[in-house]
Amino acid sequence: MTQLLSKIACFVERYNFTDPREENALQNFRFTAEKLGHEFSFMFKEKISDIPVYDAVFIRATTDPLYTAYIVSKTAWELGLRVVDDPESIKICGNKVHLYTLFRKYGVPHIPTIFLTKDELHHKRLVEIFKEYGKPVVLKAPYTSFSRYVEKVACETSFREIAKRFFRKSDVLVVQKFMPTAFDWRVGVLNGEVLYVCKYMIPKGRWKHGVKLRGKPTFIWGRTVAMKRENAPAKLKEVALKACSIIGNGLYGVDIKEFGGEYVVVEVNDNPSIYAGYEDLRNKDVYEKIIKFLVN
Amino acid sequence: MDLLSGVPWVLVVSNIDLTTNVPIVSPSTFLGLSIKDFIVNINNDYRYLKIGYYVSLHAETLGNPVIPASGNMIDANRTPVFLLRSSKAGIPTMPYIVTGSVKQIISEVGFPVVIFAVNPFIYDGFKIARNRSSLYRAMKSLSMNYKFAVCAIPLRGEMFSFKSIFGKCELEGDFEEVSEMVYKVFKIPICKLHVQRVDGKVHLCSLQPVKREELTPSDLRLVSEEIFLMSRHGDPVIV
Repeated sequence: MTQLLSKIACFVERYNFTDPREENALQNFRFTAEKLGHEFSFMFKEKISDIPVYDAVFIRATTDPLYTAYIVSKTAWELGLRVVDDPESIKICGNKVHLYTLFRKYGVPHIPTIFLTKDELHHKRLVEIFKEYGKPVVLKAPYTSFSRYVEKVACETSFREIAKRFFRKSDVLVVQKFMPTAFDWRVGVLNGEVLYVCKYMIPKGRWKHGVKLRGKPTFIWGRTVAMKRENAPAKLKEVALKACSIIGNGLYGVDIKEFGGEYVVVEVNDNPSIYAGYEDLRNKDVYEKIIKFLVN
Repeated sequence: MDLLSGVPWVLVVSNIDLTTNVPIVSPSTFLGLSIKDFIVNINNDYRYLKIGYYVSLHAETLGNPVIPASGNMIDANRTPVFLLRSSKAGIPTMPYIVTGSVKQIISEVGFPVVIFAVNPFIYDGFKIARNRSSLYRAMKSLSMNYKFAVCAIPLRGEMFSFKSIFGKCELEGDFEEVSEMVYKVFKIPICKLHVQRVDGKVHLCSLQPVKREELTPSDLRLVSEEIFLMSRHGDPVIV
């Protein structure tokens, strides 16, 4: 007789099931957990009060300190459950100002970055920024995710326009040097080890992996090219692990640009996308490693 | 003020004009400094992503002790987390559920019920629903058309809202005690507390920021006095 080992709750929202690739990945998680003898249940926001009956919580809904996912994470953590993503990782990765501050403090190679407060949104400061980083620059809201709230600006007028929009929610913004590449590396990291490696290709004529078409609600995404983690450059993996080490021991997706032979971190994301046939294509043990980490 | 023992310097960062001789720096000035001090972050709004949050974050990155901590700001402004942590610390709290379902509120909480928003956009106040139609209206508004969850608390007594300045409030007895306990746990210098008095006993419900215009001259005097006491606790305040 198989003994039930652990009860895992997977916190999801309805939108997690709209893309069949993500839905298949979620079913893979369930199948893997059950194969290992665990109970795996999808938990929606109506059932948050059930958290205490589980042994571990795995969050797949979008995380942000202002979203319900943070409530789930913090509740589970306060109750002593194993939780991915943990609240500290959400707090750091969910705010790019926090993230880049730590990169700076601990010497993680990253895209040249400065922070901008509302008081600094004036002609003299903008001239300085363009002088330092050239044109265009990248303006990023601290709460960016899935390539949203990241804009390329090449003149003071558009800089002001975008900054004012982002300042509605956050009092500090991120300004970065524009570093175009054909692809971004994505390194999946779990508990200080590389889980998967892939290339997120930039769609032709664009500058970021996900692009919203003008006048249309949908995003187009570049191709994902997966590779075996063993075959990825050692230096790439080293940079990714260093970036994660200042955040925690959870599950992260590190975006890295290869520029002039050097690797620079774009950002570290908690709650990284895992789509069936994409991130897992060359590293099929992704599901098993995550489930084992949750119940360890 | 355990944090102050052994700390020689206190630096006050404030977005409020205080009636004090203690020198202060503005939040945006502080974000450009690298001073190693004990930081007292005075702000009327400690919400996540607001300038007060970044002040504490900056202080923490510099390795400075700071009041309040950035993590406490996030938790104090997320009602379910605020109630969970308060309850663990022994503060009397009301039972609550987090849900996006009207049916669940009706079956598990019943009427009347107090609804608090748990979304990134609405941060002040609450709505009381005494019947099904008012609950649907409250849910539609506070869940932003059912996109986000809400926090539902049964209404078993009377709701009270009051300002808490360094844990002190104008109300006495249980109110004062709860206010002090909340300050002890979260160290939020200026906030508004929502509580419910049931059978003479005060139970915590939620915390929210104070609007600048809500701060009276006597509130500002109290803030200044507290800062003065802190600065005397260590050595002279420097900027």
